[in-house]
Amino acid sequence: MLSERELDRYKRQILLFGEEGQEKLKKAKIFIAGAGGLGSPISIYLAVAGIGTITIVDMDVVERTNLNRQILHNDRDIGKKKTVSAVEKLREINPDITIKAIDTTIDETNVARLVGSSSGIVDAMDNFPTRYLLNETAVKKNIPLFHGAIRGLYGQATTVIPGVTPCLKCIFPKAPPKEVFPVVGVTPGFIGMIQATEVIKFLIRDGRLLTGRLFIWDGLEAHAEEICVERDPKCPVCGGSHAPAKKVVKNPAKSPVRKKK
Amino acid sequence: MTVKVRFFARFRELLGTDILVEKKGTPVVLALVKEIAQKKKDGYDAIFDEKGNFHEFVIVMRNGKRLEPAETATVNVADGDEIAVFPPVAGG
Repeated sequence: MLSERELDRYKRQILLFGEEGQEKLKKAKIFIAGAGGLGSPISIYLAVAGIGTITIVDMDVVERTNLNRQILHNDRDIGKKKTVSAVEKLREINPDITIKAIDTTIDETNVARLVGSSSGIVDAMDNFPTRYLLNETAVKKNIPLFHGAIRGLYGQATTVIPGVTPCLKCIFPKAPPKEVFPVVGVTPGFIGMIQATEVIKFLIRDGRLLTGRLFIWDGLEAHAEEICVERDPKCPVCGGSHAPAKKVVKNPAKSPVRKKK
Repeated sequence: MTVKVRFFARFRELLGTDILVEKKGTPVVLALVKEIAQKKKDGYDAIFDEKGNFHEFVIVMRNGKRLEPAETATVNVADGDEIAVFPPVAGG
């Protein structure tokens, strides 16, 4: 049940989703891997939208060089754990939701436990090895993965529905090389908003998800493009024994519940 | 025959994009892209490894369909084809 306060807080989006849609957001548990450039805008917007439980994981300390893009953290937070800074801000932004921040490095020994029984995993990482771990976990647990990545003024995003769409390993069999990537805050802002929009659409079961499509953003040209991506039957993550049984290619967000008027 | 080659993101910055190539023969995708990229060393190095193959993380598409790295050396382009070359990014 939504409280009077919540009905008030979410009034303008209840016009879009109905109270039923808002309840779905409230019941959702979203796991955000990373409280950096992508994790900042994603967590802020999922918090204001009323996602009931947000778990955010990061192991870093806020540095001055983060502040051009990691808008969850302010100048006074330099030296503070990103998880501490994230909890402070997100609780202030929306006291009606539950924020859990975990200060750890995501690795193969803890990823399954950290993700738990989340409704969705948001990839806000800055490296492919951890992305691949999140992807494997998403496939094994049959939880959607919302991918985003950026460099400079370029970005990409896609939504992985295990057993239905290609997984991250089908789309990117080999990781791009590691580097200290150049970035201006608007790019993770933009790509993060695509990911957060996907999360909301998935939860309220509305619209057409970014499934089987890789969204490519070229900020220099102000040009967006998408390329079709397909499952790799030989994929070591989702093409073999780990693949969930269901074979029906159906966009879950296309089905039930449209907005209530 | 005429083929359009589209470079994305950093590759576009280095080599330009929507490059129309007119050819008498039908080269394989790898040879066609290589010929264009060879005009600029840093563009070439960004896309190809020292053996002259696509870097393994580079995504190559022919008419919207992904080509496996090995296929780029065996699949010939045809008139009207559109070849897209895209570098995934990894930052966050």
